[in-house]
Amino acid sequence: MRITEEAKNQNREKIIKAAAMLFAEKGFEETTTRDIAKAAGLATGTMFNYFPSKETMAMSMINEALLKGGADFVTRRTGEEEFAEELFLFITTGLQRLRAMHPFIGPVLEKSLSPFARKATCKEGESAREQHLAVVSAIMTRHGHTMVPEFLATNIYWSLYLGILAFWSNDDSPNQEATLAMIDYSIILFARMISAADPVAGGLSK
Amino acid sequence: MMMENREKSLRIEEMIAALPDAGNTGKVSPEILADISKRISLKKMPTSALTRFWSLGNVQTKIALGYLAYRVRSSFVSAGKKQKLLNETHLAAAIRLLATMGYMRGAVMKLGQILANLPDVVPDEFAEILGALHFEAPPMHYSMIREVFVAEMGREPEEIFASFDKKAFAAASLGQVHKARLKTGEEVAVKIQYPHIARTIQADMRNLRFLLAPMRLSADWGSMTEYLVEIERVLTIEADYEQEAAFCRQAGKLFERAEGFVIPEIYDQYSSRRILTMEFIPGCHLQEFLAGNPSEELRNNYSLLISRFWARLFYSAKQIVADPHPGNFIFMADGRLGFIDFGCTRATSVEEQEMLAQLEIAFLEKDPAKIDQVIANACLYHDPSRMSLVQLQVIREVITWQFGPIVSEKLYDWGDSDFFLRGMELNLEMVQKGCSQSMPLCIWTNRMTYGFRAICYRLKCQNYFGRICREERERAQNG
Repeated sequence: MRITEEAKNQNREKIIKAAAMLFAEKGFEETTTRDIAKAAGLATGTMFNYFPSKETMAMSMINEALLKGGADFVTRRTGEEEFAEELFLFITTGLQRLRAMHPFIGPVLEKSLSPFARKATCKEGESAREQHLAVVSAIMTRHGHTMVPEFLATNIYWSLYLGILAFWSNDDSPNQEATLAMIDYSIILFARMISAADPVAGGLSK
Repeated sequence: MMMENREKSLRIEEMIAALPDAGNTGKVSPEILADISKRISLKKMPTSALTRFWSLGNVQTKIALGYLAYRVRSSFVSAGKKQKLLNETHLAAAIRLLATMGYMRGAVMKLGQILANLPDVVPDEFAEILGALHFEAPPMHYSMIREVFVAEMGREPEEIFASFDKKAFAAASLGQVHKARLKTGEEVAVKIQYPHIARTIQADMRNLRFLLAPMRLSADWGSMTEYLVEIERVLTIEADYEQEAAFCRQAGKLFERAEGFVIPEIYDQYSSRRILTMEFIPGCHLQEFLAGNPSEELRNNYSLLISRFWARLFYSAKQIVADPHPGNFIFMADGRLGFIDFGCTRATSVEEQEMLAQLEIAFLEKDPAKIDQVIANACLYHDPSRMSLVQLQVIREVITWQFGPIVSEKLYDWGDSDFFLRGMELNLEMVQKGCSQSMPLCIWTNRMTYGFRAICYRLKCQNYFGRICREERERAQNG
């Protein structure tokens, strides 16, 4: 029997909802694909037609949240922000959308975004990375940081961003306020790095 | 942009080179101060304990080396040049200290505020540069402010207020203050705390304990440890804006606006542990007030208000305003006095109140034996015979300097530099002679006394201080 596109979307939504609930309740590691299928009211085999693994499922959720965060950022941006401030706004707006996933996000990001596992990187993780870095590149261009080779700047940035995510996933301070200070400080560090490497600013060329 | 700032920034050596030659007064030009401020604004607060520790230790080393270099160099130059060298050393030390304090904010910045308020304790150059700390702390950008609001209140500032100034109009030691207007029309001041500052205070204190570790073999170490615990406790309270709001409300009940006092109203629905929204009080600060050459009558009137404010909080609310730096007072155009910061307020225990009352009674009765007994209690010896004669003599003089005006009926001239300097010298003598053991409360009573007297000294005012204290004591007794 052929299943309609609408029914497919409904099933996908059911799986994501069930997974989010179970990850939050039991943790990512403790939740099995069988648990998720059962909670979604689907056969385990059917579920694999939608998501090949638990990691893909979790990373899809994160990806969707980050996409929404990207849209929020466009709305929240006033256009008056300086470079560091705009990057700060972009990162923190994304984190607001990820907040519901805070209890289980650590192991998911470790598996899906690890910079040491390029071959095993999941498609959703790679897509999240590309979309995020595209926005960062646009911000850099908007503020005239065009002299540093983009692959260098974005790689430095991505290392810092992963550090921020790792810190945030373990941050137990009220409202994760320690992360705010960490982002503020990290972005200043990044801005200084790319400013120092910018021949216009006279950094390395001197 | 950051690049432009870096290019324009002066280095310390360049700042020193820019000093005038003969007859050097050590005054720092506004351009240099503006540049220092700009340099500091580029620095972000290091929140890790290790980085903060490095900054603290590093600046102490630099300052110590600066003075050592002065001693070596001054051995080979004439007297006139010696003075110039000394001024240069003071200035360089102050610039280094300022840069680090602006960098670290939090607890260490409080030290700058205390020093700046005691113009004759530290060299003039120090006081002038440190004075900049009151209102020139590094800013948080507006996106950070928005995040703090979303985290604390669940909404953005523009959703909560009818208008909200994106730029801060004042810096607070733990954050900054923005002007806003409520949807109901009232103008308010919104104090916002830098994220995670409370934990950085704890890190500062840990570092400070480590730096003071060489003292652990001295007799004062036990007392010093208690002091540090006490300081950490009060600074942690200061980081809790809900507690500050409670102190402010309690004080508000004691002062009538018709009497000349304005304590700001707190707006609870727009406040949290990290955000404090209060009535905006228009006016100026001490420095600007004095720059307008106010009349003697006006200065005396303000000294009366400041003294009564102190005494009423002390006697009726049993509170010690442990941070009486000038930035917390507002001199209003209509002659009233505003007080805007109850963050560093220390409530006293029944035991502490009893000790302070006993000391006052002993002074009022002019009973030396009683005075010595209370001193021994306050210094935790509990028996004057367990104290050395030198200790007893120095502390007796300090207490007389502190309590003399409280129990006297005569007109006090607070601008008398001999009297003010004597207090400073006694404080120094007390430390030099190893008389620092005391109840932790004494940190705050000392700070309160020196702080208020430093403001009155700068006002060059006169008042019947003892009479004010007596009236406020009776007011408290009569409920």
